[in-house]
Amino acid sequence: MAVQIDKPPGQYQSGQAGPAASEKLGDPGWAWAAYQPDAWQPWNLAQAGHLFRRAAFGADWDQLQQALSDGPQRTIDKLLRPQANIAAFNREHDEYESSTASSTDSLRAWWLRRIIQTPHPLLEKMTLFWHSHFAANGAKVKNARLMQRHVQLLRSQALNSFRALLKAISRDPAVLIWLGAEANRKALPNENFARSLMEAFTLGAGHYTKKDVREAARAFTGWFVLRGQLRYISREHDGNVKQILGQKGNFTSDDVVRIVLEQPATSRTLVRKLYRWLICETAEPDPKLIAPLAQSFAKDYDVLKLVETMLRSNLFFSRVAYRRRIKCPVEFALGIVKGLEGVVSTTQLAQDLADLGQNLYSPPTVKGWTGGRHWINSATLVRRHNLAMALLRGSGPYANKLNPWAVAKKHGCSTPESAARFLLDLFLQGDLGPDVRDALLKKIQTPAAADGDDPAGTLRRFAHEIVTLPDFHLA
Amino acid sequence: MFYTRRDFLKAALGTSTLLSFASAAPNFLVRSVMAAAPRRKERDTVLVVVQLSGGNDGLNTVVPYEDDEYARNRPTLRLPTKELHKIDSEMGLHPRMGAFARLYKEGHLSIVQGVGYPNSDRSHEGAMRIWHTADPDQPNRQTGWLGRAIDSVWNPNKTNAPAVFVGPTARPFGLNAENAIVPSIRSLRDLMTGQMPGYSNDQSQKKHAAELPRADKGNPLLGFLQHSTLNAYTNSRRIEAVAKTAANTAEYPSLALAGSFRTVAQLIRADVGIRIFFMEFSGGGIGGFDNHANQLGNHCALLHQLSESVAAFVHDLKRDKLLDRVLLMTFSEFGRTVKENGRRGTGHGAAAPVFLAGGKLKGGLIGPRPSLTDLDNGAPKFHTDFRRVYATVLDQWLGFESRTVLDRQFEPLDVLNV
Repeated sequence: MAVQIDKPPGQYQSGQAGPAASEKLGDPGWAWAAYQPDAWQPWNLAQAGHLFRRAAFGADWDQLQQALSDGPQRTIDKLLRPQANIAAFNREHDEYESSTASSTDSLRAWWLRRIIQTPHPLLEKMTLFWHSHFAANGAKVKNARLMQRHVQLLRSQALNSFRALLKAISRDPAVLIWLGAEANRKALPNENFARSLMEAFTLGAGHYTKKDVREAARAFTGWFVLRGQLRYISREHDGNVKQILGQKGNFTSDDVVRIVLEQPATSRTLVRKLYRWLICETAEPDPKLIAPLAQSFAKDYDVLKLVETMLRSNLFFSRVAYRRRIKCPVEFALGIVKGLEGVVSTTQLAQDLADLGQNLYSPPTVKGWTGGRHWINSATLVRRHNLAMALLRGSGPYANKLNPWAVAKKHGCSTPESAARFLLDLFLQGDLGPDVRDALLKKIQTPAAADGDDPAGTLRRFAHEIVTLPDFHLA
Repeated sequence: MFYTRRDFLKAALGTSTLLSFASAAPNFLVRSVMAAAPRRKERDTVLVVVQLSGGNDGLNTVVPYEDDEYARNRPTLRLPTKELHKIDSEMGLHPRMGAFARLYKEGHLSIVQGVGYPNSDRSHEGAMRIWHTADPDQPNRQTGWLGRAIDSVWNPNKTNAPAVFVGPTARPFGLNAENAIVPSIRSLRDLMTGQMPGYSNDQSQKKHAAELPRADKGNPLLGFLQHSTLNAYTNSRRIEAVAKTAANTAEYPSLALAGSFRTVAQLIRADVGIRIFFMEFSGGGIGGFDNHANQLGNHCALLHQLSESVAAFVHDLKRDKLLDRVLLMTFSEFGRTVKENGRRGTGHGAAAPVFLAGGKLKGGLIGPRPSLTDLDNGAPKFHTDFRRVYATVLDQWLGFESRTVLDRQFEPLDVLNV
């Protein structure tokens, strides 16, 4: 067996970190300082896998190996600011979308393809984050072109300026139609946008009053969506004085965006939400941990900087974060696809993901996908099992695009047993306890089934066993 | 200490034994094991909601044959009195609803008359939205009443699918939840784990690796996933066992709708914790209930399918002593106009009857029959707010709290023997 495989990182299985680290987890200074590998928190395959699950949609073997030799900070550099020509890649994919996107069904397939092929997966990861944040629903908007532009807008600012993003969102026809805010008459101010802006997009419940919503709605008067086009009709704008969140003036829509961004609750809400997305969803973070990041984020609303701080941090590489998120369906499926270096039919995949509860371009409500434990019930787990089977079985709607045995051979494995060990490291980085690991490997060692099995079939079944383990559902 | 049925099975057989055994177990054995299980303390009632899409003509479904206005307004559509299945001295069921008439006599069918809401919406989309959101005042409401009901009882320790939509059409908005994932299925297969090609029978019956114990006690999510994975595979195998043994014994007419009812009955029999089933009846190739022209024949076929399919479902459940756990309700987005429209059809209306079927009904006609002269824009007026029906099924049947779902307390109807 030619392949070099790291030893499994035992410290996670017992749920114990070093005693010194334990005490420091609640200290914001230590938590957000850049992670430096040491004896307690070594840089290894498990940490690399963790990073690619959170900052991307999983990794293939070469990426994991490259990360091991690059070390954490250099790997993060590449995830944040890849060398490839991202703009050209995305332009090309925008054109694919435009030429065929007559429906959100084809848009969601194109998006999945982009996620599989992009040289900048973190950008797509954050685009998905914002998609759930603003939650525009194509079934309500009923205009694929506007939905396409909406997600392009999210992508253009996904790792950029939340201020610019929010301002553009306030003028986005898809969002206005989605929220039922396509008409904002002076005589009949429409509170739908103002309410969602304060409740779901920025401040969060409890940080504004009904009066703030009413007054903000007056500032949004004059904006209309007519036949899918944004229009400003100045005679419909209420130019009188409004009082919003303690400020007084004859405010316009841009002023409202500025005012909500000035509220400390906004940056706190956003940082907490990103914490849940990138770090941990099992426990609400201590306000002490959130405070320094929120203060810094409020200064410039630079998303890249915030994401960078989180990804580089000690906290990110601690047990607080490790496997403390449940994969959303997109992460679950693409983790398999990325690991096995294939490109599958994303038209089929988009539909299967919808059946798992994540219909891209159609989040369930204005609150986006709640996710977490809600992803999981008997029906969705059975469907994850069946989707993994369809992806791995080598025939059917996904055809023979993923071949675990071929991938293992490519990376130097010559026997089914070495290939099995390779797959365990590729998909779980040796997180399993020895008993589970041994039980799994025994299946490979027992003589093949009566059907005169070939290694390819054996390894397909083995890969399926791995990706239906409870552990694999954790990001 | 009390046992749930599932605890009993685990205790009696041992989980792993059951898992390898369930798919091969003869039906009588599975049934006798289930029958021997003590009643669970927790409620296990099931609600089946059947949506009749298009706007069902209530007047030609539950016919006020003694009212002269009926015959006068329906020169071509009126149904001959002698062919009706009379349920009292004024009302009769459509001639093709003989099966419903029998259910009514047996006490397994109730009819709530005049169900609707103020300021009836006459567009299909708007009216259906109102029945789905249960919130006529907020057309932008983003969750359905059943979606909210499901979210209101969510418990991370219970990982059964809370509800499913059964059928070939898109999942109706009524099931849209903020948090829960509510699956749509076409057949039982969608809730059963498939098997990778190449497993011999011997291997497939071995313990799945996912069910092996984990060392990590520190990560609550891993424990959760392990528990829910085991539960999912157990449920899958229960469905598999039921599908193998019960598929051919119960008699259902060969209608698409009946096929969906058979699926629902099998899922109830499998006892996998699904409390709410939603089905849509939108015609299945013969046109829906929206009959603006030449209504008579189409409507006959639809009502026949509905009543035959529901009756087959009720009898299937009754035979297995499951009917007492099940309540079915129908609804349509609106009824139709009293007066026919000159094209042997009817226009969009307002109030209409709601059918309830099940084993714990008081039976009979509920509420006065709507007047055919005192009308809401040409259509029968409502006297029973549809949210009272919802409150009844939520509070009294499912044991949920209707107030949190409907935002205020609607008075439940006195229709159930519970």
